[in-house]
Amino acid sequence: MEQSATLPTPDDIKSLVRPDHVHRRAYADPAVFALEQERIFSKLWIYVAHDSQLKKPGDFIRTRLASYEVLVTRHSDGEIYVLQNRCPHRGARICMVDRGSSKIFSCPYHAWAFRPDGSLASVPHRKSYPENFSFDDPSNHMQRVGKVALYRGFVFATLNENPEPLLEHLGPMTEVIDNLVDRAPDGEVEIAESSFTLEYRGNWKLHLENAADIFHPSFVHSSSVAPARRAPTNASILDQDQTRLMLAANGLGYEEWEGIQLNGYAGGHVYMNNIYNAGVMVSQKADPVAERYRAALTARHGAEKTAQVLGMNRFNNIIYPNLIINAQYQQMRVTIPLSVDRTMVRIHCFKLKGAPDEMFHRAVRFLSTLGSPASMIFSDDVEMLERCQQGLARDVGPWIDFSRGVGQESRGAEGQLSGAASEMPMRVQFQAWVNYLTAEAA
Amino acid sequence: MLDYAMQRRIELFLLEEARLLDAGQFEDWLKLYEPQGIYWMPSQPGQTDPLNVASIMYEDHAILSMRVQRLLEARALVLTPMPRTTHLVSNIEAKEAEDGEFTADAAFICVEHQADRQRIYSGRHAYQLTPHDDSFRIKLKRVALMNCDGVHSPMAIPL
Ligand code: FES
Ligand SMILES: [Fe+2]
Repeated sequence: MEQSATLPTPDDIKSLVRPDHVHRRAYADPAVFALEQERIFSKLWIYVAHDSQLKKPGDFIRTRLASYEVLVTRHSDGEIYVLQNRCPHRGARICMVDRGSSKIFSCPYHAWAFRPDGSLASVPHRKSYPENFSFDDPSNHMQRVGKVALYRGFVFATLNENPEPLLEHLGPMTEVIDNLVDRAPDGEVEIAESSFTLEYRGNWKLHLENAADIFHPSFVHSSSVAPARRAPTNASILDQDQTRLMLAANGLGYEEWEGIQLNGYAGGHVYMNNIYNAGVMVSQKADPVAERYRAALTARHGAEKTAQVLGMNRFNNIIYPNLIINAQYQQMRVTIPLSVDRTMVRIHCFKLKGAPDEMFHRAVRFLSTLGSPASMIFSDDVEMLERCQQGLARDVGPWIDFSRGVGQESRGAEGQLSGAASEMPMRVQFQAWVNYLTAEAA
Repeated sequence: MLDYAMQRRIELFLLEEARLLDAGQFEDWLKLYEPQGIYWMPSQPGQTDPLNVASIMYEDHAILSMRVQRLLEARALVLTPMPRTTHLVSNIEAKEAEDGEFTADAAFICVEHQADRQRIYSGRHAYQLTPHDDSFRIKLKRVALMNCDGVHSPMAIPL
């Protein structure tokens, strides 16, 4: 991104966030966005790929890291690299697909060719290049960006020269990655090949806030809750009532809110407990597929650990700043900011290795129902995110409200707890946001 | 090759489906489907597997009817204001299949206007049709959206 506007100062950033209010500029000012790219998306560990997408040398994923378009590659040495998707010769974008496998990345313009670690493999008509032209010169390579670290198959990268250890950044959120992987009887998960990519005309933070917001579903999703409540049970021949249950589940009443607990941590990570326990993927009812799955899991872990793994009932685990995991539904969302008012969301599901195929079919259906562009749920969320941006883009009523439940949260050593109706998760996210944006340059 | 009268009847059936969608007569639209009929919009070009690969839509009558009820709720946020659509169906090639059933293949374009934006969808429809009274019922409609694997914004009206 071109950086023309001067970046906001720490005092400027601090002035945008009050304990229970946030200034609209946090969502609408391109200079704030530029600072976020520098201090959040270039400094924190950012999820970029999953191991299972990079099985063999040459496998690659195209994504973004801060303002760079990058390729995450597996080289013949088995290592994972993050490379700028840009030819060092004249700057042409090299790769135009989101994933694939190739031992050589060849630039279409003058056919410089690169290995998956970015090194230059060949140039045509070598003899016309000067004597001192060197294949070893890093400036003739696809540029490596950032450092890479893995946690149980999840690949994170950072442009930070001196990052805190990945485990420290993830903190208590390693539990949800553990929980997802431990749900696989063979101890490994695989990201499904199919995924959805959506783009909305709104700030990236709106998506994270939506995922942490239990207050909105009964309002925003009422148009699908009402038909689902009226529909007969078990009428579908395709999905064991999964879609109907999921649509109906958004009709949370005030009583259901009471059982839900929100958790917020200093790094901006957030999750919720005890929401939506009725779906076939977590049903306690006897069901031949679930029985077979439990048996397979018990064979690996034993009864006690199995009960513990399947007993973790959390929804929307938000790993700040760009990852949302739902372990028991085998789902994941990645938030990719494109500009101050444009955001891409990638939605994936996982296969639990060793689990019955039908478990995966259920996860695939969950992905379609909840995350597809035609989803009767997510489409209404996106509509609201866009309307928020439309309202925030105008310089009126500059302060927006996050006061619900303020002062009612309890504070533990690791973070904060609150009931479902609280806006604690957004306040936690904004505290982290201020800390990251105003941190002393490392 | 189908005789002209049958080809024409199938064409008119497909045009009726398009008209019902454009007119917002979603309950009548749903009546064109068999009780076990399926509406399928893959997420990948050439997708053959609806179980292991996610679909933009893979719904039977029971799920479609919740979708239709939602369209009629008038509270769905993606439907305020209600989008106006023009569905064009063309290049229709109908064939006789087994057991007196038919298949039809067609190209489509749908222009959707809503508030300050207009979107264009295009692709191909593939139908399995079963005779019903003097018309047909849809056993399967596969909507191969041209940009099925692209970057999307929310889709409100069936194509
Ligand atoms: S721009 Fe890539 S080889 Fe010339
Ligand atoms: Fe929602």
